[in-house]
Amino acid sequence: MISRRHLLSAGAGAATMLVPGVPIARAESSQVVVGTWGGDYGQLLSDLIDKPLLAPKGVEVLQDVANADPRKTKLLAERQSRRGSMDVACLSDTDHYVVATTNVFEAVDAAKIPRLDKVFPELRTDTAIPHIYSALVILYNENQVKTPPTSWADLWDPKWRGRVGLADILYSWNTLAAALANGGGVSNLDPAEQKLMELRSLDAKIYPSNEALAAGLKSEEVWLTAMWLARGFMWKKAGIPLSHVVPKEGAASIVFEASVPRNARNKDGGFAYLDAMLDAKAQIAFADKMGYVPTVSDAVLPEDLAKQVSLSEADRARLLKPDYKYQSERSQRTLDFWNKQFKG
Amino acid sequence: MTFADTHRDTKGANVKSAPSGMALLVLPACLLVLGLLIGPMLLMFRISLNRFSPTQLMIEAFSFENYARAAADPYYQEVILTTLGMALLCTALTLIIAFPAAYWVGRLQSSWKSLVVIATLFPLVVGNVVRSAGWMALFTRDGLINAVLLKVHVISEPLTLMYTPKAVVFGIIAVVLPYMILTIASVIESIPRDLEDAAANLGASALQTFWRVILPLSAPGVAAGSILVFVLCMNTYATAVLLGGPRFKMMAPAIFDQFVRGNNWPMGAALAFMLLALTMSFTIVGSIAFARRYRVR
Amino acid sequence: MASLSIDNLTKRFGASLAVDGLNLAVQEGELVALLGPSGCGKTTTLRMVAGFLPPTSGRVLFDSEDVTNLPAHKRATGMVFQSYALFPHMTAAQNVGFGLEMRGVGGAERQAKVEEALKLVRLSHLAGRLPRELSGGQQQRVALARALVINPKLFLLDEPLSNLDAKLRAEVRIEIRALQQRLGLTTLLVTHDREEALTMADRLVVMEGGRVRQVGSPRELYDEPQDAFVADFVGRCNILLGRRENEIQFRTAGGLVLTVDIAPNESKNANAFALRPERISIRPGAEGDLHGPLQAVTYLGPQTEYHVRVGDEVFVVVQQTPGADEPLASVRPQDQVSLRWDRKAPRLVPQTS
Repeated sequence: MISRRHLLSAGAGAATMLVPGVPIARAESSQVVVGTWGGDYGQLLSDLIDKPLLAPKGVEVLQDVANADPRKTKLLAERQSRRGSMDVACLSDTDHYVVATTNVFEAVDAAKIPRLDKVFPELRTDTAIPHIYSALVILYNENQVKTPPTSWADLWDPKWRGRVGLADILYSWNTLAAALANGGGVSNLDPAEQKLMELRSLDAKIYPSNEALAAGLKSEEVWLTAMWLARGFMWKKAGIPLSHVVPKEGAASIVFEASVPRNARNKDGGFAYLDAMLDAKAQIAFADKMGYVPTVSDAVLPEDLAKQVSLSEADRARLLKPDYKYQSERSQRTLDFWNKQFKG
Repeated sequence: MTFADTHRDTKGANVKSAPSGMALLVLPACLLVLGLLIGPMLLMFRISLNRFSPTQLMIEAFSFENYARAAADPYYQEVILTTLGMALLCTALTLIIAFPAAYWVGRLQSSWKSLVVIATLFPLVVGNVVRSAGWMALFTRDGLINAVLLKVHVISEPLTLMYTPKAVVFGIIAVVLPYMILTIASVIESIPRDLEDAAANLGASALQTFWRVILPLSAPGVAAGSILVFVLCMNTYATAVLLGGPRFKMMAPAIFDQFVRGNNWPMGAALAFMLLALTMSFTIVGSIAFARRYRVR
Repeated sequence: MASLSIDNLTKRFGASLAVDGLNLAVQEGELVALLGPSGCGKTTTLRMVAGFLPPTSGRVLFDSEDVTNLPAHKRATGMVFQSYALFPHMTAAQNVGFGLEMRGVGGAERQAKVEEALKLVRLSHLAGRLPRELSGGQQQRVALARALVINPKLFLLDEPLSNLDAKLRAEVRIEIRALQQRLGLTTLLVTHDREEALTMADRLVVMEGGRVRQVGSPRELYDEPQDAFVADFVGRCNILLGRRENEIQFRTAGGLVLTVDIAPNESKNANAFALRPERISIRPGAEGDLHGPLQAVTYLGPQTEYHVRVGDEVFVVVQQTPGADEPLASVRPQDQVSLRWDRKAPRLVPQTS
């Protein structure tokens, strides 16, 4: 069932790719179409931004819900056409980079987005606003792992044989973690390959989804993993006995960004939406609900929440920003190695 | 064959005039198939001839190099073998499990029959994903099976059931069983009971009656059910991913990987066409062999 | 061939009693027909004899061997099914050979026996045909050959003619009877068709509601039915309910007084007057005690059927069709006609026994 749905949506993408510029009927410029994920994220956007912030201004928000890949494909497919189907495109920083290289997005500036001034400088990019972010950390079972790990390399400790679990869908991040454990970095993933094969012989468990990994952690089938801090926060809230640590090599960041496509029909509305996404209250609510950290300096989290979801000043300094160019050019090799060598 | 007989026996011109009007009846179905199946497939085939680019998705090209690369890659060879092996094994096991049930359903006379048929169909009402989630609840380390076995001290350590090929086999069979049962049952239903009595009357034991009368006469149902199930098995996605785990590779998840994670549409499309060709050739060869053996006409 | 004894055989389906304490003996070489309306238990009895159904109680014996608990495939009966039940995926010859194959008769011997059996039913030239390539009559003959080739202890016929058209049915009836007598087959025939039963059977068993009503030769049953049901079922019959007034008079419910000549002890409880239509003679004109208006005349070719109202009763009369110049040929409905019969012709029987 899953496969069919995906293939169908992919097929639709292919169709639009071959027939560029299919006009999509849309009535008013007071409508903003936001291409976004569904689920929690889409619901929170609707509850925290669409209704309280934009509805009073007379802006009606329509969500175009799909997974990242079909939306990415849609953006690329529509890039030649004069009028696109989205006014706001939500993507992770990595995906944003891939799409942005084809010159699809409008530049962002403070004239159009007043709240851009409040954004932490290290999270700014030319064509997107950072909405929320998190970091890849080590999560461990505090009952079973008495001495907290300090380094990514600690996952390779033979005493944790069979107790390290990884999420299959985070393969590129797991690869980065392995590279960091072996002297590599965001711009050098090659050392990961030897390390991944070691982990394989150490009997690491691989779970098909984040949810399956959570079940494995809950049943104490596995004790350690590499995961987003935000996810760890939610799992802790769900009662799984977990603690997190930022390894000394650093934590890789993931930023959920939003941009306005060049061919958006309602660019003003799009920028207004981006501005609203930087609203301090909304960002604090996102942190509370999903564990992702605000990107604006005036969104101050309550102290106990901050302790759980954000990084210390020292850890922030060690935040690793992905090398997008390197990462996307190496993507096929990373996936092939993961599938064919590590998992094969 | 019934139609052939009718046409042979009936004389006159009205027989000839009927089909032209009748042909219109299949038009909507044909258009649907053409538009929603053939069209996208041609598109996919075109894509499979393109070249992959990480930044532009794909570059227009006209080469079979994706096919050549996939065929030469030991990884995909193994994926194909696993897929074929699983499909054949599951089809055979399903057939063995389904036949007695199908016989029972097909021979059921009581007013419960429609209820039984609905009950058989019930697993299909539940989506693949939900059903597999149910299996996961059974199979995990703290799942029902382990919990029961531990409780009654059959085992002292939880068994690893999840993410094994065994789990996938169970999962697939649970999914495809209704198709096989109902396909065969409908044919069994059409076999007169008298034939079984006649066989017994002539000295055939139950087993001999099965081999010599029931099985050959249910051959069309066995063939149709096996083909249906084989095709479903070849294209297993959710069950393979959810119960087989990330290390277990069948074609459908591998294709999904190329499309969605690798963004490599040309390779994904090429793999999809290889799966299609493989499924079709096995189906055709199988049906021909079967038709010869049992004179299905 | 064996003889068949059915001993107090009973079959219960849930609350209903399909066969209720049936006793019957069939001599070697004898053809006995079970005759009755649908649901009378005749087919259930046959299926218990063949071993397809286990009896609730009672015994089935072939010669003196108790086969009650023997499964069907070990009973060695040869059955011809109403549907013929030919195996559609086997040729005529394969169908005929099936029973031999199950008995381990192989190769040349089997082939010879199959050929012989097909020759017996005059189908040698169609040995290689599949059942669907044969006509109904041909299929029926294959079924016969298939049942006979195994030298059965008992020959069972379940409505064997009901799927044939009327003309063929008459021919096949004679053919089967001739075959049965020539081969000395102990045969149990199940039918609801009285003509079939009367023409083929040595003895008839009339059944109703799971019980035997009467057993006897066709003639006995036709001429001397023990009750109104049998009288009506083995042939057409005028049955008038009423009571016996005295030694020579019977008063019908409709008030008609009929003269009878039957010893009173012969028919205790007799409350039905039974008279076959062909035993009445009819004349134009209102003469004698029994006359009335003609209600209908039905021309049947060699015979003609008349419906005559006398008082409140209606008599059915069947006569040889009169010649065109006979006075009877010119009677029309509403004309007055008179009836008469031999005093010995009617029977007084109980409505049910």
